[in-house]
Amino acid sequence: MFDWAIIVKYFPILSEAALLTLYISVISLVLGLIFGLAAALARLSSNRVLFGIASFYIWLIRSTPLLVQLFLIYYGLPQFGLELSPFVSGVLGLALNVGAYNAETIRAGIQSISHGQTEAALSIGMTHAQAMRRIILPQAVRNIIPPLGNNFIILIKDTSLVSTITLVELTMKTQQLVGTTYKPFELYLAATILYAILTSATALALRAVEKRMHLKTQRS
Amino acid sequence: MSDAIVRVEALRKCYGDLEVLRSVDLQVEAGEVICIIGPSGSGKSTLLRTINHLEVPTAGEIHVNGMFINDTSLKGKAFDKHLCEVRTNLGMVFQHFHLFPHMSILQNVIEGPVQVLKQNKAEAEEKAMQLLTSVGLADKRDAYPDMLSGGQKQRVAIVRALAMNPSVMLFDEPTSALDPELVGEVLSVMEGLAKEGMTMLIVTHEMEFARKVADRVIFMDGGFIVEQGTPDQVFGNPQHQRTQQFLASIHS
Ligand SMILES: Nc1ncnc2c1ncn2[C@@H]1O[C@H](COP(=O)(O)OP(=O)(O)O)[C@@H](O)[C@H]1O
Ligand SMILES: [Mg+2]
Repeated sequence: MFDWAIIVKYFPILSEAALLTLYISVISLVLGLIFGLAAALARLSSNRVLFGIASFYIWLIRSTPLLVQLFLIYYGLPQFGLELSPFVSGVLGLALNVGAYNAETIRAGIQSISHGQTEAALSIGMTHAQAMRRIILPQAVRNIIPPLGNNFIILIKDTSLVSTITLVELTMKTQQLVGTTYKPFELYLAATILYAILTSATALALRAVEKRMHLKTQRS
Repeated sequence: MSDAIVRVEALRKCYGDLEVLRSVDLQVEAGEVICIIGPSGSGKSTLLRTINHLEVPTAGEIHVNGMFINDTSLKGKAFDKHLCEVRTNLGMVFQHFHLFPHMSILQNVIEGPVQVLKQNKAEAEEKAMQLLTSVGLADKRDAYPDMLSGGQKQRVAIVRALAMNPSVMLFDEPTSALDPELVGEVLSVMEGLAKEGMTMLIVTHEMEFARKVADRVIFMDGGFIVEQGTPDQVFGNPQHQRTQQFLASIHS
């Protein structure tokens, strides 16, 4: 029988776990943005070594499952004396993963800006770095935000995989409660609702940001 | 040594097997206004773009204000720095303006002086406002490029280049992207600059303008300077058959 009381009773505990999920997502996103920007700039640079490293990184991440990447970091690295906590492993794995997708998103955004903008910047004596920072990136950000938001929403859902490396986030917490209550439907339904709230709230927030940016664009 | 502001020697430019400039020599003296004419694909834009190194020459030398632009003895960062310095001497105006759309008109104009020449902002703004006033666009200082007409955008682009206080202005078909009724306002700004003694190298299809404003007209075809002289000589009495054909084709 379906038991509403279970959902009501455990919702606060699960909400707390959902906060950890959100926390993991945000930290991974910030790190993933840094990795992504670095890899995108490396892919666009004329330095062959940087280009090679970034291409390899992006290729490796995008052609392998996140779960295996997490296992490699958490279970594999200790073999070489590098023991990372579940939290650090999880965040690092997620950040490296989303970073590779961010890199392609950012690179596409940068390349969508007309080459004439770079030429105009260079012709007033700017360096390539100045042109990128002052002229190209500020324009590219507008094109990059929506697909980046998509990556973020995928990231939130992907955090459930870090439950497999003993991190007690929302999915793991739910599993534990199922183990003691034998109420899988109610509890997984509650987890489903919480994930939906997290991703939908994020989507709404992103839409608000896009709208504000759009207003600015219209002005310009 | 001549005191030419721009000196181009035996310049060649190839794109793969395509030879776009075949040994071009050119000297631009201080205060000289040169109009470059010629059929599409003859290498006019490539010549201008190699002068400020937006295109890398295949062979030959380019000197600006005595500075050897494509000095291959400089490597890496040293060359980049040298290039930026030389480019501050060259103002470039593009066919499609290339204003920075995320910046206001005033920001567009002071961007180079502040970021590249490290002028203080107040000083740069004062100079920018003088220049904007001189082209009749002072009231657009806080507008954004998308709110301007093509003619206004190109006048701002000219001001943006002038704000760097260049020794030479390079114009690549500055009116070709404009609606016909907006061409005049841009040409009159350029004519004003010529009168003030600005050194200018202008690629244009505006023959009336070239005839009136140029000190020298250069006709290019197939990657060569085929013929050059005063407007009267080139337009009135062209020596070369290809020049005659070209002039006939645009008058018909
Ligand atoms: N980046 C490029 N790659 C290959 N070919 C080019 C490139 N830029 C210009 N060209 C070619 O060089 C020739 C001269 O071009 P251009 O200098 O733009 O001529 P113009 O400005 O006189 O019309 C044309 O045949 C053009 O197709
Ligand atoms: Mg051209």
